[in-house]
Amino acid sequence: MMLKYIGNRILQIAILLVIYVAIVFFMLHAMPGGIKTLLISNPKLTPQAQEAIIRAFGLNQPLWLQFVDYMKNVFTLNLGISFSYYPTPVWNIIAERLPRTVLLFTVATLIAFFVGFASGKSLAWNRGKTTEYVSTVVGIITYTIFTPLLIFVMIWFFGSFLGIFPLNQFLNPDLWIHTRLNAQIVFLYILMTMVIIGAVMMVSYLMALRFSHKESTKKMIFYVSTAISIVFALFLWVVSPIGIYGADILWHMVLPVMTVTIISYAGNMLVMRDSMLETIKEDFITTARAKGLPDKVVRDKHAARTAMLPVVTNFVLSLGFVVSGGVITESLFSWPGMGMTLLDSTLAKDYPLAAGALIFTGIFVLIAHLVVDIVYAFLDPRIRY
Amino acid sequence: MRPILELRNLKMYYDTQAGQVKAADDVSFVLNEGESIGLVGESGCGKTSVSMSIMRLLPENARIISGNIFFDGRDVVKLSNDEMNKIRWAGIAMIFQAAMNSLNPVYRVGDQIIEAITAHEPNVTFEEARQRVASLYKLVGLDPERMDNYPHEYSGGMKQRAIIAMSLACNPKLIIADEPTTALDVIVQDTILRELEKIQRKLNMSMIYISHDIAVIAEVASRIAIMYAGKIVEMSDSVAIFKRPAHPYTVGLMSSFPSIRGEKKELVTIPGEPPNLLNAPDHCRFVPRCPFATDECWKAVPSYTEIESNHFVACFHPQNLKKRVSINA
Repeated sequence: MMLKYIGNRILQIAILLVIYVAIVFFMLHAMPGGIKTLLISNPKLTPQAQEAIIRAFGLNQPLWLQFVDYMKNVFTLNLGISFSYYPTPVWNIIAERLPRTVLLFTVATLIAFFVGFASGKSLAWNRGKTTEYVSTVVGIITYTIFTPLLIFVMIWFFGSFLGIFPLNQFLNPDLWIHTRLNAQIVFLYILMTMVIIGAVMMVSYLMALRFSHKESTKKMIFYVSTAISIVFALFLWVVSPIGIYGADILWHMVLPVMTVTIISYAGNMLVMRDSMLETIKEDFITTARAKGLPDKVVRDKHAARTAMLPVVTNFVLSLGFVVSGGVITESLFSWPGMGMTLLDSTLAKDYPLAAGALIFTGIFVLIAHLVVDIVYAFLDPRIRY
Repeated sequence: MRPILELRNLKMYYDTQAGQVKAADDVSFVLNEGESIGLVGESGCGKTSVSMSIMRLLPENARIISGNIFFDGRDVVKLSNDEMNKIRWAGIAMIFQAAMNSLNPVYRVGDQIIEAITAHEPNVTFEEARQRVASLYKLVGLDPERMDNYPHEYSGGMKQRAIIAMSLACNPKLIIADEPTTALDVIVQDTILRELEKIQRKLNMSMIYISHDIAVIAEVASRIAIMYAGKIVEMSDSVAIFKRPAHPYTVGLMSSFPSIRGEKKELVTIPGEPPNLLNAPDHCRFVPRCPFATDECWKAVPSYTEIESNHFVACFHPQNLKKRVSINA
C-alpha cells in the first residue's frame, strides 16, 4: 500500500518536474536579450562564424524543437556548458555546489523545526506567563524582520564586534592551501555522516518500538544508540586526516546556520503554539489527564504529538521560502551554494547554469515534499494511501 | 454498606471576567459501595462541574471554594496533583460526555487502554495488559481483534464501548458516566446502558450516572439527585422520584420526556431557561419558572428537608406525594 503510494508520488513528481523544466526553459527564453544575441554579439565574428555558432547550438530550429532537445538532455543529466565558467559543464558546477546548500539549509531547517516545536510546545503549556508573552513577541520580531538587516547585524556582532566567527566564505584558504584535498569531498563526507546518524536514529527508534513496550526502555534504546553513533562518528572524524578540514567548514557554517535558524524557527513556534492551544482543549486530553498520567506524558505524548501535524505542514510550505531566502543568505555570507549560483548566473546571462541551478533547486524541493509526505503518513494514522 | 464517596457542602465557583459563577453550590450526597446514583438536570446546571470536581480536573479559572469530597475515606480536595494522579482511573474512572473525541486519534485504541493500565500498575507486562484489554473487550461486546485499530476505524457505538472498556481497565471502585450515551442513537443507547448496568452489578462498582434524561437514568440508577442551578433540589430512590416527584422542577422534567409504555400525553416543556449562575439570587432559584411560586418563594432559599424516609427536597411547596401532577405552560 505504502509502496504503491510512494510509486505514485514519484510518478507525479516526474510529471511535475517536466512541467517545471518547461516553465524554466521558456521563462529563460523570454528574458530580454536572448541567448542568440548574446552568442553572436561579438562584432569580431564574421557572418559565417555567427551562422556556424547558431547552427552548432541548434538555435536556428523552432523553439519547440529546441525544447525537446533540451528536455532530452536534462533527463540524461546533460545540462550543457556554463558560459561564465567556460568550458566547465554545468553538471560539474552543480555537483560541487549543491552539497553546500543542502548541508547548510538542512541543518538550519532541522534546528529551526526542533527549536520551534519545543518552544511552541512549552509556550502553549505555560499559557499566560510572562515568558509566553516575551517569547511570542520576540518570535514575531524575528519572523518578520528584513532578512539582510538581520544578516548584517549578525555579521557585525559575531564576526566583527565579538570576532568569534569567520566573516565570509565557507573555508579558511590559509588552511586549505597546503592540501590537495577537494572541499567537495569533505562536504560529501559531512553529508554522509549526517545521513548515517539519521538512519541510525530512525532504525533504533523503530527497533525500540518493536522490542520494548516500556516508555523508559524505548527512550534508552533510542538515546544510547544515537549517542553511540554520534560519538563514533566524531571519533572517526577526529582521527581521520580530513577531520580538521571538516571542522573548518563546520566552523564557517555556524553563523549562517544561526541566522537561518533565527529567521525560520519562529514560524514553526507560532504554528506549534496555536495548534497546541487548540489540541489541549480536546476531549482526549481530558481523558489522558483523567487516566492519571503524569503531566509530562499528557503534554508530550498526547498533546504535542497530535499538535505537531500542522507544524509539519508549515515545514513543507516553508521549504519554498528556504530556497528563495537562500539567494540572500548565501550572497551575504559569500556561501558559494545554489542560491548564489542562481543569482550570479542570472546576472551574467549564463543561461545553461541558471537553468541547471533552477532545475536542481526544484528537484530538491520536490524530493523534500516527498519525504515530508511519507513522514506525514507515519505521523497521522488517519492518512492511509 | 460502606460509603465510597461523600460530598459535603461542595462549593465550586468559576472566576470569570463578569464575576463568580456558582456552578456547584452546597452540593452534598453520599454514595455507598456498589450503589449507583443519577445526577439529572438541564444542561448548564452543574452536573459536569460536580463530576469534574470529584476528578479534580477543573479548568484553571475554577476553584473549589469550600466543602469536602471524601473518596474511600480521603479528602481529594486536599490532595496534591501527584497524589490525585494515583486515584484517577485506579480509584475513580470516567466515561466522558463526548466519547467520539475522547480517544486520541493518533494511537491505537488498545494501546490507549494499556497505557492506563501500565501507568497505575507498573509491574504488569505488556502481554498481561493486552490480555486484560482483550477480556475487557469481550466484556463490553467488542471483538478483541479490533484493539489494534485506530479510533477513526471504529463506529460511534464501538468507540463508546471502547471507552467503557477503558474505564474498567484498572478495576476502579467508582465510575462516573457523564452522558455516556447522549451521542448515540436510541437503540444503541439502550443496549449500552443495560450492559453498563450489568457490568456494574457484576463487578460491584459504584456508579454516578449524569444525564438530562430522567427516564433513562431511572432505569439504571438506584437513586436520583435532581440538580437545578448548581444545587441539588430533590433526591430519593428512583422509584420514589418517579412515582412521587415533589419538586416542581422534577415534575417538569418528567413531563418533558415521552414514555414508551404509558398512555399518549402531550409533552410539556418547562417555560423559561435555567438562570444565569453569575448572580445567584438569594431566593429559590427555580421561582421565575415555577407555576406554584408564592411570595414566600421570592424571599428566602428553601431548606433541604426530608419529606418522607430518604426523600429530600428543597421547596416551600413540595407537591402532593400521592397524586401525579403536571404543569401546564
